[in-house]
Amino acid sequence: MIIPIRCFSCGAVIADKYEEYKRRVKNGEHPAKVLDDLGIKRYCCRRMFLSQADYLDEIIEIEEYKGP
Amino acid sequence: MLDNIKILEKSNDHLIFILDNIDLYIANSIRRAIIAEIPTLAIEDVIFYENSSSIHDEFIALRLGLIPLIAKIDEFNFRDKCECNGKGCKSCTAYFKLEAEGPKTVYSHDLKVIEDDRVIVPKNIPIIKLGRKQRLVLEAEAILGRGKDHAKWQAGIAAYKYYPEIRINYERCTLCKNCIEECPRKVLKLEDDKIVLKDVIRCNLCKACEEACPEEALNLNGNEKKLIFKIEVINKSYKPEELFIKACEILKEKAQELKKKLY
Repeated sequence: MIIPIRCFSCGAVIADKYEEYKRRVKNGEHPAKVLDDLGIKRYCCRRMFLSQADYLDEIIEIEEYKGP
Repeated sequence: MLDNIKILEKSNDHLIFILDNIDLYIANSIRRAIIAEIPTLAIEDVIFYENSSSIHDEFIALRLGLIPLIAKIDEFNFRDKCECNGKGCKSCTAYFKLEAEGPKTVYSHDLKVIEDDRVIVPKNIPIIKLGRKQRLVLEAEAILGRGKDHAKWQAGIAAYKYYPEIRINYERCTLCKNCIEECPRKVLKLEDDKIVLKDVIRCNLCKACEEACPEEALNLNGNEKKLIFKIEVINKSYKPEELFIKACEILKEKAQELKKKLY
């Protein structure tokens, strides 16, 4: 859906770093290196980034097509 | 009791230090107090005037609640102990409003505080994405709470581990360096023909070095009386060292309350 605001396990805020992560990975950087740069150390927080699927963009496209 | 506190790492949002000569149960009660007892401010009630986005109201309200609001905590009262008797007033509540129309991403800094210099909303946390002609209008109220009521009020993360201590029998050690190579985190180093534990923070006491030693000359153990304590801030109203002190104060208050009830 959309990136969760906090890590499910430890509660650290992660959502504010997601857009930079996504942009840099799209530009060809390795996810592990980007996560290290962003200071995401624990594996509970790292999996939040790695397993994220942005379905909301697709849902919005469908709703725009349908009209209000 | 606390003879020796040595700081290993310190920054604005985290703190790692050694607590020497401490009992485990005290360290654990401090850890639990940091996670569950320290008051912070978070959004509790949300009134929706318009929501034509692709996400339903409850989901947005939860996401708003999870934003860690930076506030002067001392200037707020708990709502159930406030003179307004739980109705909600300026001394126990912070008010917010949000108005947005797509296409855009709504960030936490689009949430506006209504005439209150006690509260700052952190920046750049995406709340929701809006498509074309989708609108979101809402008002929100934030109140004080504790981590034990809901995770959105959690002020920080705290953890500790035993201090790793390495002992080597140099009569048997042949300096084969097996232990240095086998260590999964590479915390061991050879210095002047002696094997030393360089990075105590990263050593996780897995004992791979002990198993790798063919002469059984190496012994790695955690010292139960010496702890490495880590604090990380979630809600930036506090600094990491403030979290530790506040947790101690809360524990002290609780102990005094108990004493008063017993006598």
